[in-house]
Amino acid sequence: MRSPERIAVMAAGVVTPIGQDLESFWSSLLTGASGISHVERFPVSNLRVGRAGEIKKLARVKSWARVPDCRATRLLISAADDLCAQARFRPLPLDPRRVGVVVGTALGGVEEGERALDGDRRRRLLRDALYDGPAYNLARWLGCRGPVITVSTACASGATALAVGSELLREDEVDAVIAGGYDVLCRFVMRGFDALRSLTRDEVRPFDRRRSGLLLGEAAALALLVRERDAQGPRLGTVLGYGSASDASHIAAPDPDGQGLERAVRAALLDAGITANDVDFVSAHGTGTQLNDRIETAALKRALGARAYAVPVNSIKSSLGHTMGAAAALEAIMCLQASRHGLIPPTLHLEEPDPACDLDYVHGTARAARPRISLSTSLGFGGCNGALVLEGAP
Amino acid sequence: MTPAPSIRALGLLTGAASSGPVGSLGRPERAGERFRRATRECLLALAAVDAMLEDGREAREAIAGDRTALLYVTAAAYGASNREFITRGGGGTHFAYTAPVVVPAEVAIEFGVTGPYAIFVGGAPATLRAIRHAAALLDDAVCDRALVLAVEIFDECADLFARGGRLLGRPLVEAAGCLWLERGAGDLAFESRREARAGSGSGPELLSCAPLAELDASRRRPAAEPLALSGRWRGETARLIWPRPPSRSSVA
Repeated sequence: MRSPERIAVMAAGVVTPIGQDLESFWSSLLTGASGISHVERFPVSNLRVGRAGEIKKLARVKSWARVPDCRATRLLISAADDLCAQARFRPLPLDPRRVGVVVGTALGGVEEGERALDGDRRRRLLRDALYDGPAYNLARWLGCRGPVITVSTACASGATALAVGSELLREDEVDAVIAGGYDVLCRFVMRGFDALRSLTRDEVRPFDRRRSGLLLGEAAALALLVRERDAQGPRLGTVLGYGSASDASHIAAPDPDGQGLERAVRAALLDAGITANDVDFVSAHGTGTQLNDRIETAALKRALGARAYAVPVNSIKSSLGHTMGAAAALEAIMCLQASRHGLIPPTLHLEEPDPACDLDYVHGTARAARPRISLSTSLGFGGCNGALVLEGAP
Repeated sequence: MTPAPSIRALGLLTGAASSGPVGSLGRPERAGERFRRATRECLLALAAVDAMLEDGREAREAIAGDRTALLYVTAAAYGASNREFITRGGGGTHFAYTAPVVVPAEVAIEFGVTGPYAIFVGGAPATLRAIRHAAALLDDAVCDRALVLAVEIFDECADLFARGGRLLGRPLVEAAGCLWLERGAGDLAFESRREARAGSGSGPELLSCAPLAELDASRRRPAAEPLALSGRWRGETARLIWPRPPSRSSVA
């Protein structure tokens, strides 16, 4: 059995509907800003719900010269630009062959596929339409020559990417990894979730008794990972552990008993070498659907026991929508920010707690607390369950 | 270095390379209402697992439960269902089937596999990475067996793949394979390098299924040398070297 190798998170970069860099994202979460709006980038008039967490204008990168006209790629590069600015990581300070990229996505470059099928004959579109296309574009922009890996575990993709990125470091294949997740809003996914009747006409209200569904969002979130023994200077925190498990229950709905999520949480705690009593904060998947929030609450209670009632829990999906492949990475970064700043962002629009969801959900205003160890949970299509354990920097 | 896993069984289905621009596998028959709406790639995945169980002379119960990890790899199998949904529309169930994750989900549901999972998107190097990831999961004792599943279908998007000739310049052959790994001995070596212009190789293109086809072929050869599997995709050349070659012959 391999010796455990702690993985440091040195920096993070994000682009979201509530902020196009880490600090503005964080301050928007704390102040209860909403990134939900009417979708403007493509027609939604024939959909039941035309609202989502749309990024109206990608403002961070000043020039897109030599960057493909691919929104997924541009979201990734926007987040990477934020990260690189903080970590001074571009141009690369390391041998480019020892820097890897691992990103998770639920949709990849599917919007390029839509354009190709709509008559756009540019050959480049087909390369970007494959789900791993945007990751290669990001690697090219960064100038890294190490492994480029795309994982796609639906809405748990960001967590899987952080785990696989950590694995690359433990295997000593690289010395640094840019890892995280992304997904774009496009006709394809809006139509799909509209057809599933998962989208709400109300606000997204995780764990509220009136909750009636989710809204989608688009984002990219990336973290710079290195082996802790190689880490120099300040860091955001540490990836302590990861667990995953399949429901083997339904292709589009979570297991009604949440057993897969429970197993994933237990596996993550074991991997981290901690017990439930060490957990200080839970960032829940918290989509705001009737089923998810009830199942997740029950699974957390079984996996954490009495500790489940003692720790604050939040969901940030009501602030920016469900950002699919980016969600788990964004939430992991949020956990580290909570440790750093001593504040836990509130669950926006949670006003009337559901008696069936009886944990200590943070709502109303940000709560003063400095969690050392956080648990972040994710569920996705196909019965994917992922859990990350993170430790904030001291 | 990760301990090399042993190979318990391998199931592999491949299309005929000479049957046209794409060597197609068709749509496997499977009884049951649940499979009426399942996509071709899902049904091929189930058939590959069946073939693997037959190769290992095991019943399906042998892979059920939370001690089995499931790792899925594909470069392009989702193309068909994505295209269908984009051009013809469809309901929520159809949308769910556009996600790559649904292929291993169908396997998990059908065979009761509830352990750790991961899904890698890419060509042959992604499969080699999945095998290494499986070896790490086995070494970490988070599972007792790991299945590496790969599926590629091309028929429904043959015209699009033809347009993207620089990426997929070789004759495409559909395939589905599943490899059953358990804890083994010796060290598994993995090498990877990326070059601006790596050659695409020659012969039929099976993308993520290529290493499983190479492994299947190697099982028919005398087991004298360490087994090296290799693959290329988007400028990456990867190689996985087993200290000892597998000895069982394939029946798939």
